[in-house]
Amino acid sequence: MLGIIEALINGILMGSIYGLTAVGLTLIFGVMKVINFAHGSILMVGMFAAYWFVILTGWNPYFAIPVVVPLLFWFGYYMQSFIIKPIFEAEKDVREPITVIIVTTGIWYVLDNLALMIFGAEFRVAKTSVTGQVFEFYEMYFLLPKVIGAGITMVCGIYLYWFLKHSRMGKAIRATSLDREAASLMGIKQAKIYNVAFGLGSACCGMAACVLIPFYYVYPTVGVPFDIKAFIIVVLGGLGSIPGAILGGIIVGIIENVGAQFMAATWTELLLYGVFLFVLLVKPSGLFGQKHDY
Amino acid sequence: MKQLLNQNPKILLISALLLGALFILPLVVTSPALMQIFILIILYAYFTSTWNFVGGFAGVLPLGHSAFIGIGAYTSTVLFQTFGISPWLGMIVGGLLAAMMGVVIGLPTLKLRGAYFALATIAVGEGVRVLVENVKQVGPLMINGPSGISIKLTENSFSAFQFDSKLPYYYIILAMLLIVLLLTYFMMNSKIGYYLAAGGEEPEAAEALGIKVSRYRLIAMAISCFLAGLGGTFYAQLMLYIYPKSILGLDLSFEIAFIALIGGRGTILGPVLGALLLRPVSELTRIYFGSMLPGLHLVIFGLILIVVMRYYPKGLVEPVKILLNKLFINRLGKQGGPDGTDSAEKAD
Amino acid sequence: MKMFKQLVVPVVALAMLAGSFGFAQAAPDTVKIGNIIPLSGPSASVGIQGKQAREMAVEEINSAGGIKSLGGAKLELLFADSKGDPTVGVTEAERMINSEKVHLLTGCWNSAVTYPTTQVAERYGIPFIVPVSVRDTITERGFKNVFRIAAKDGWWAKDQFVFLDDMKKEFNVDIKKVAFVYENGDWGVGFAEKWVDLAKERGYEVVLNEPYPSTASDLTPVVIKLKRAKPDVVFMTSNAADAILLTNTMAEMKVNVKAIISSGGGHADPSFLAAAGQNAEYLFDIVEWEADLNRPGLKETNDKYKKLYGHNLNGESVDAYAAMYVIKEALEQAGSNDPEALRKTLSEIQVCGGKVGLLAYDCIDFDESGQNKNASLVIVQTRTKGKEMDRITVWPKNVRRAGYTPVFPQPEK
Repeated sequence: MLGIIEALINGILMGSIYGLTAVGLTLIFGVMKVINFAHGSILMVGMFAAYWFVILTGWNPYFAIPVVVPLLFWFGYYMQSFIIKPIFEAEKDVREPITVIIVTTGIWYVLDNLALMIFGAEFRVAKTSVTGQVFEFYEMYFLLPKVIGAGITMVCGIYLYWFLKHSRMGKAIRATSLDREAASLMGIKQAKIYNVAFGLGSACCGMAACVLIPFYYVYPTVGVPFDIKAFIIVVLGGLGSIPGAILGGIIVGIIENVGAQFMAATWTELLLYGVFLFVLLVKPSGLFGQKHDY
Repeated sequence: MKQLLNQNPKILLISALLLGALFILPLVVTSPALMQIFILIILYAYFTSTWNFVGGFAGVLPLGHSAFIGIGAYTSTVLFQTFGISPWLGMIVGGLLAAMMGVVIGLPTLKLRGAYFALATIAVGEGVRVLVENVKQVGPLMINGPSGISIKLTENSFSAFQFDSKLPYYYIILAMLLIVLLLTYFMMNSKIGYYLAAGGEEPEAAEALGIKVSRYRLIAMAISCFLAGLGGTFYAQLMLYIYPKSILGLDLSFEIAFIALIGGRGTILGPVLGALLLRPVSELTRIYFGSMLPGLHLVIFGLILIVVMRYYPKGLVEPVKILLNKLFINRLGKQGGPDGTDSAEKAD
Repeated sequence: MKMFKQLVVPVVALAMLAGSFGFAQAAPDTVKIGNIIPLSGPSASVGIQGKQAREMAVEEINSAGGIKSLGGAKLELLFADSKGDPTVGVTEAERMINSEKVHLLTGCWNSAVTYPTTQVAERYGIPFIVPVSVRDTITERGFKNVFRIAAKDGWWAKDQFVFLDDMKKEFNVDIKKVAFVYENGDWGVGFAEKWVDLAKERGYEVVLNEPYPSTASDLTPVVIKLKRAKPDVVFMTSNAADAILLTNTMAEMKVNVKAIISSGGGHADPSFLAAAGQNAEYLFDIVEWEADLNRPGLKETNDKYKKLYGHNLNGESVDAYAAMYVIKEALEQAGSNDPEALRKTLSEIQVCGGKVGLLAYDCIDFDESGQNKNASLVIVQTRTKGKEMDRITVWPKNVRRAGYTPVFPQPEK
């Protein structure tokens, strides 16, 4: 029984971190109607940035946040404006531009393999002051960096939710995601909105990277498993919804952790896809999605 | 058939020339390694053409086609290994199973829009792979989980679908490709094709006009999966070894989608063109750069995807069409008629 | 101009392709060795180490005057990236044999790639040296051209249990419950099947038999399960990424067992020790070779390697290194680079000492199936040494590092 509770709580903790990467994906989709296949690679870039920050300064890994998050925002912002924008514009009358999906896949290949060329294939772990710290509670163990990570996710989620609801830029982003044409008629500059959305989505990856570095390793294709999880999560939660992404992440974490207590871990993977398809069929808008989108 | 013969004679001439060239290619190319590359090019053109029925004409983006290829490959292989049933028969069974699976999956998912459909197909593809990797055997049927199946070697035998030379494989896959291209052509010029095209981007509008978009999509899905399953058997017999991570993997599904988009999806020649370009590029870059600086070849591959999509978002069929017009059909101007290459506009 | 580009680029590309397949000819005074290994994708790390080891060996052989019986012929290495994908491996083998006209092939590390690729080599009659790929059946198909240097998985699994027997005796500890945790690939599943039989023979109770997806992003659930199963000994088969995750998570969750016995691969990857650090304390790992073995010339070779590439040799790279010297010896003895003559020489060859002697095995001597009869294994224990982790050979007892007593069972956390 304790094992199941332990698994449940660990699932929630790890799931929130999955949720954080999914928030970025869902934000980009909500605005641009594009699935960003390079999302995992952006996470990888963030993780290398955070790794080198920790290794070179030797500081507490969470001090990397004010450096890595703006860096990733900038990275996403300019990636959208230089690479994706021209392609997006060529197909702007199409509601869901498929060429852009292929371009993000191209970016994924380029980034992952550039990392392989520059950093090599080895696995790197940053030993930090919080690495390996645990809470013990009735023979149940919870990792401190995971607890901190889950906390940071909640703060980010609430902040982004507030930002979209109340700030000027947030309102413009929401208007664009509801109706592109109407928003641009209202004088909202679409290109700028896309850049900011892509930047914010990437910044979420940067945040997730800083949270992961104290207890995870980094290598060139580290983003791929997170990528596929993020796809499942955004559909569970509803494409475009921030609370949905975090909740979806937690659900995935719970399925993975608790499910594995009753079956071999290889079967939980299948269970995950099963739940995903079930949600798609029964409620394609996910937990919090707009009906408009599926 | 009449439609086909009513084509512009120059188009027919080009097609005939191309076809003739493909048929006599093995006379010029004798190296088995080079033959293997050409077989793979044609096989990928075939896979992409089957994908095209759904991805090209129905206006959605399937990213899990390897599931159907894998079902075909596994069915014929398991039947051959366990009961000694000829892979030719197994191929049909595999195709039917793949089509059934396609319908079961298509029924609910084809109603979904772009991104949702793409993600659903990824989940299906990965789900099938995970399932196969977890199953060692079902009754007397050996699935072998993650190790894959190595097909029993026989002598050179048509009924066992195993040949010492590459030549039979080449002509079999060439014939399969021609059949699928003809099917594509007829479908495009049929009621189904027009309805699919109408429902491609704005299914609601088409539904409002009384077209049952999802029904036609389902038909396209079934045809596509059946043909993909046949291709899977060919793949298995060519390699004589099936391995879940490669025949059921995301990489294969993605490569098919890349080829379609680079070539020009929703056109007859797009998949062929895409395979002709992307396959050699990925082979060449791997051969020349793969051992020099690990990863460089995939960087180049990714850059090519980005650049082509940037300048030819409708695929390379566009510039080739212009080129062909300039070379051959100058006098007739732009009234090319309902030939394969013009269909790009039709599908939009 | 645009039209020109559109025409010329594909034509040039095709011509290059044709060129790479059609016209490559071996220069008369070189011996071409084709190497099909994973240089990108998930096994890139181990593939790149194999490439480095081969390059160092060939550089040594060539600068020492090449193959003397062939008039000082030089060895030429050709590498192909298999990406860890069997279909790519098969295609590359065809190209290596037909277009590059290689005299020998080596590779492919991933058993799933080696298995069909050796089949191609057999069909063309090109000798194929497999430094390490553990799947048993690779040398059990009656092929004449396949020669494997390292042990096969049945031997690995058996030695792990023999080691456990010896430890129980030596330290008088009782072991009843065992757990198996392994990656759900070809390799892990192959080991696990052997483990189940071996445990049954010896009367152990298997409290957990758990495969996990090798691409898992979180292995906490597996560790929770393992902890609750309370095994005495855990057997593991992991790639580098999952080895790191499992080892760190087990340490953090204070999983108490008497011993952990891993199976090389990820646990022998140099980046594993760097990443797991002290969490890997007391871990037992089975490998073909270890840097602290008392072999002539070993230290110098390892130092040279470390200076060149920044990390120690490991079992897999030593197998690759030795493979080059086996090839050299075979060429010297055959006095020819003809594949059939080489095959014949390899099937009879017995190479002992010298650079091959760096291996844990005394000799390399292939049996009828092409398996090296003398392929033995050693077990090392990981201990902290200053800031780094040290792998200390403990088994078999006759090669145990002088003055070291293994820690068994490991202390409670």
